[in-house]
Amino acid sequence: MAAVLPPSGGLPGGEDPFAEGRRRLGVAADLDTVELTEIGEDTMELNMGPQHPSTHGVLRLVLDLDGEVVRACRPDIGFLHTGFEKDFERHSYQQCIPYSDRMDYLAPLINNLGFSLAAERLLGIEVPPRGQYLRVIMCELARIGSHLIWFGTGALDLGATTPFLYAWRERETILDINELVSGVRMHTSFIRVGGLMADVPDEFEAMVRNVVHTFPKAIDEYELLITKNPIWRQRTVGLGTISAEDALAYGMSGPSLRGSGVAYDLRKAQPYSSYDHFDFDIPVGHNGDVYDRYLCRMREMRESLRIIEQALENLPSGPVNTLDRKVAPPPRNEINTSMESLIRHFKLVTEGFHVPRGQVYQAVESPRGELGFYMVSDGSNRPYRVKVRAPSFSNLSALPYMVKGGLIADVVAVIGSIDIVLGDVDR
Amino acid sequence: MIHRADVVEACALLRDDPDGLYTLPVFVTAVDWPDREPAAPRYDVVYQFRSLHHNDVCRLVVQVPEDDPTVPTLEGEFCGMDWHERECYDLLGIVFEGHHDLRRILLPDDWEGHPLRKDYVSFGEPVAFTHNIEWALPAAERPPGMPGSSR
Repeated sequence: MAAVLPPSGGLPGGEDPFAEGRRRLGVAADLDTVELTEIGEDTMELNMGPQHPSTHGVLRLVLDLDGEVVRACRPDIGFLHTGFEKDFERHSYQQCIPYSDRMDYLAPLINNLGFSLAAERLLGIEVPPRGQYLRVIMCELARIGSHLIWFGTGALDLGATTPFLYAWRERETILDINELVSGVRMHTSFIRVGGLMADVPDEFEAMVRNVVHTFPKAIDEYELLITKNPIWRQRTVGLGTISAEDALAYGMSGPSLRGSGVAYDLRKAQPYSSYDHFDFDIPVGHNGDVYDRYLCRMREMRESLRIIEQALENLPSGPVNTLDRKVAPPPRNEINTSMESLIRHFKLVTEGFHVPRGQVYQAVESPRGELGFYMVSDGSNRPYRVKVRAPSFSNLSALPYMVKGGLIADVVAVIGSIDIVLGDVDR
Repeated sequence: MIHRADVVEACALLRDDPDGLYTLPVFVTAVDWPDREPAAPRYDVVYQFRSLHHNDVCRLVVQVPEDDPTVPTLEGEFCGMDWHERECYDLLGIVFEGHHDLRRILLPDDWEGHPLRKDYVSFGEPVAFTHNIEWALPAAERPPGMPGSSR
């Protein structure tokens, strides 16, 4: 670095900021033969991603660096933009469900639920209790599965390799349940407008009970590895701090907001799908840093297990789909014997159902926060407009604020802690 | 439903009034209604806010005409509106006046058109292969007569 000296006589204003440096170097104050350069003005622009392993998908960050310190961060998103909102306008309501699967691909069932609830509110129908309870069980399993991926990859980003393998091992049991009920492991499209794809098979209960029994021990194991690990704490405590007011102004939600001490969970605040029947707590942090967001999610997994246990204990019997034949197809055996059922089935498959004119905003609590569907219907069999309010999108918009002034290595920790899914950000 | 001149004031009131406290910006988007009766404005700009204090949501609708689709930005009131306004501009072409960085956010910078407008036909775009590489030309550079040409 070139010797840095101000013009002799110091800067205008009297105060000479370089006096101390000059004293140390033993340079006379009136020395004016050295070529002068400014220090501290230049920043280096560093491109991070979109193929960076710790950006959890295709997120590109442009960082302005002053040495190791991040002066500014400019996220560049849209690499995964697929135009789902446009696709919704071209498809009948039931055909939209597989598209909703693919937005937040770590918790597809919760996307299904949000879309279905919005359409059901416009239709004015309600799903029978058994359908609602099964939806809750599947959504909470999806939430745990999503948090497991966040936990594994987040720890991997900071150098902890073991939790990644453990988390994947446990998630496998959840994917097996998905496979059992729907035949598909990830994009299940299991929750549909009017109910579910089908009732669950007999083995379902035993498999879910197995999850409820084994997971608390598994989570204990994770916590043993990570929660009090001094390296983990050094890399997370006090980093990426955001206050409750700022988090709200940025529109953050979910565990990322609760880490800042705001106890707001849509499952409690505006219960949907019978969530008010279950007893569970909302884990809340205090400091709004990476570590508190980590603790919130870990405790949330245990709360989800409590919900699943209660739902399984009290699982009602009866139908899973609405009895409104204008929305839900008739049972298979009826199609064999009743001409009217056959016609109804044919109409539903080819044309779908018509939804009354109106608009509705339905929000559900996804693992990342408030997932909202603003749905406008013009009375036809296809949505006129669906706006998806993606939690990752708002949470990610606060990233430049959270990483500013921190070190470049901490950017990775902060990205991990807000748990973004780029399919959700870009849609 | 409010007039666009009142948007900033109305949102500040919703945020600060003790009976409102709508502090969480949920989203802003727009709905395109090209077939509405001729005199009616074409776009509905929809704002949604959430009040954690009163556990409530609030929706504001601002109608803007086709020839002047502008609304004032809410960036100053809610910093979380920044990206949502950029998305709305990107996909629907609503201009948020006063926004510090109104660029496309999801689509590439050189994209033409605003896909969520009803007159933007999806699946109409040609697909470029090696044997018809000229499909990949921007609309302005395509020879006249070729589908998608703007000449």
